Amino acid sequence: MEKYILLKNKLPEWINMITPTYTIFAPVKEEDLVFFKPITKPSEMTLAYSNAIVPPKAQMFHQTETMFTFTQGKNIRVNPASLPDEKIVVFGIRPCDAKSLSIIDPVFTNDFEDPYYLTKRKNAILVGLSCNQPTVNCFCTSLNGSPASPEHLDILLTDIGDKYYVELNSEKGKQLVEKTKKLFTPATDADSKKKKDVEKKAVDAITRQMKINNVDAFVKKLDTIFDAPYWKTIAMKCLGCGACTYLCPTCHCFDIQDETTLDKGARIRVWDSCMRPEYTLHASGHNPRPERMNRVRNRVYHKYNYYPKNHQMIACVGCGRCIDNCPVNIDIIDVITKAGEVKP
Amino acid sequence: MVNEKQLRDEVKKLVSRDDVKYVIGYEQGTYGFQVTPSFAFTPEEAERFIFSPLCANNLSVYLMLEEKPPLRKGEKEDTRKVGLVVKGCDARAVVQILQEKGLKRESLVIIGVPCTGVIDPKKITVKFPHQIKPVDVREEGNHYVLTINGKNQKIPKDELLFEKCKQCEYPTPVIHDVLLGDEVKSTKKEEYKEIKTLEKKALKEKWEFWSKAFDRCIRCYACRNVCPLCYCKECIVDQLSPQWIYRSVNRSENTVWNLIRAYHLAGRCSGCGECERACPMNIPLTMLNKKIEKDIKELFQYVAGVNLEEKPLLAMFKPNDTEDTIL
Repeated sequence: MEKYILLKNKLPEWINMITPTYTIFAPVKEEDLVFFKPITKPSEMTLAYSNAIVPPKAQMFHQTETMFTFTQGKNIRVNPASLPDEKIVVFGIRPCDAKSLSIIDPVFTNDFEDPYYLTKRKNAILVGLSCNQPTVNCFCTSLNGSPASPEHLDILLTDIGDKYYVELNSEKGKQLVEKTKKLFTPATDADSKKKKDVEKKAVDAITRQMKINNVDAFVKKLDTIFDAPYWKTIAMKCLGCGACTYLCPTCHCFDIQDETTLDKGARIRVWDSCMRPEYTLHASGHNPRPERMNRVRNRVYHKYNYYPKNHQMIACVGCGRCIDNCPVNIDIIDVITKAGEVKP
Repeated sequence: MVNEKQLRDEVKKLVSRDDVKYVIGYEQGTYGFQVTPSFAFTPEEAERFIFSPLCANNLSVYLMLEEKPPLRKGEKEDTRKVGLVVKGCDARAVVQILQEKGLKRESLVIIGVPCTGVIDPKKITVKFPHQIKPVDVREEGNHYVLTINGKNQKIPKDELLFEKCKQCEYPTPVIHDVLLGDEVKSTKKEEYKEIKTLEKKALKEKWEFWSKAFDRCIRCYACRNVCPLCYCKECIVDQLSPQWIYRSVNRSENTVWNLIRAYHLAGRCSGCGECERACPMNIPLTMLNKKIEKDIKELFQYVAGVNLEEKPLLAMFKPNDTEDTIL
């Protein structure tokens, strides 16, 4: 992996140099929250942030996506939605969120290639920023992640004082730096050591951990406790809102609907949430997941049992958003730790 | 504040009764300043109950969330009572539900907590963003005393209180079977300062303010689900035929959703502020509720959820009602 140094005061220049070619999504502060938003100049972004409230999956998998539009009446016409060919840079994405995209890729690739997601995904360069100050509910290290891991990223920047340690982890990443090479200098061994120190400090700062000895064994264990009364006790306090699923970087369920006026309409795809009763409601009126217990359990199983079985990955990156934003303190670290203690 | 031993003893007594199913209260949460809803079915489980200035949740929502799966052959409906710990604003929600006949009074046992205000989790998290270990928070006069790593920290109440608590006119539950401790009398008055300021602004400014807020909405419906008074069997936003609100998340549909939510609570909202607390996108939802509350107070001299004998606002008519509202 090629490693470089970018001085902090050169960062705005770098952003300015790539702005004409790429739409840059970067963390922007609004009402005490941080969002990934397109920026036109570097001063609009904030790099002093823990993580964006809405994960950057939303840049690839839009909450609302028009699949095609149509006209009704005598002259019916179907017009496919044009797929954007803009090249994008997601700047400042955290390693956990980058991992989440690798996790959901198979959903949009395996059986059917989803042009809406894949076009944006392929056009995107992920420029990550190491998470030097993890928040209270960060637990990426419980799931083999690291707050400063370049894996799943094209480029990773790590703040090592007055400069960024830059790791190029893909061809795309190399090309982006290649065009702006004059701003970068090769990293020295001392810089590499500094990065390691920063990473270690960040890893040590993650104190909340899932207390399960072995992740793979836990995945298997879930097979044996499906009918445990435990799930009911967790679900009793669940309100059934969709905050945890919508803000989850790996949740990827959607609904497809036609939205029409008298003479025209659009087929749209919107995020859906398995926490809602309608999610599984059949046309007959039957609901295979009739109670909150079924739905809460499904959310845990989908991430920690079904997904690993289907795609050999746990569908959770440990970003902590579902914990931060649950109005009733349903805490996945706690849920998983206690599930590990449930007797089959 | 409440004597926790007295609270637990009361809950133990209740759950030991044959006619009580369980009691809903609060227990210590999993990290930092979190407190979480708790359900006690047995006296042992009642041991977990706490009450502190961190107990923000309005637990009356769980009365409406209780699931009643279809009865099996020969099975009889469980008509035992549910016990509930309420603060002043929570109690008003219960009164409102009872007025609307959403629940029967005899199905509830209400443990009232005279409330001296609760802490806004967003405010305390900003002050202590890295707090992982649970913190003991006590109230002493005009201060909160936080015990963090063995050290006491004194913070003026005003810095941490929910805005709603600063104007609370009904701190003692207006309905209860048991009241823990002495009644708290309020000398505060809701003056709607923030609302009055916004009202004075030009239409364009108001539109900018709200469209910016609604643009953030992700339609997770945490505001609806956390609300004890949003208990329609099928919410208008979920209805497909006819579909009143499209699923598309954009300014138009988000505005419709947020306004409909507020309007459906007109004359019903008890001002507990749970919608705003639950909103992950920091949309100032209580401002919408308060605006409607203020208008209703001015037009009909009506306050929701304070008198069990009264009919709900929209179910009553007085010959001298103002007609200004009819277009």
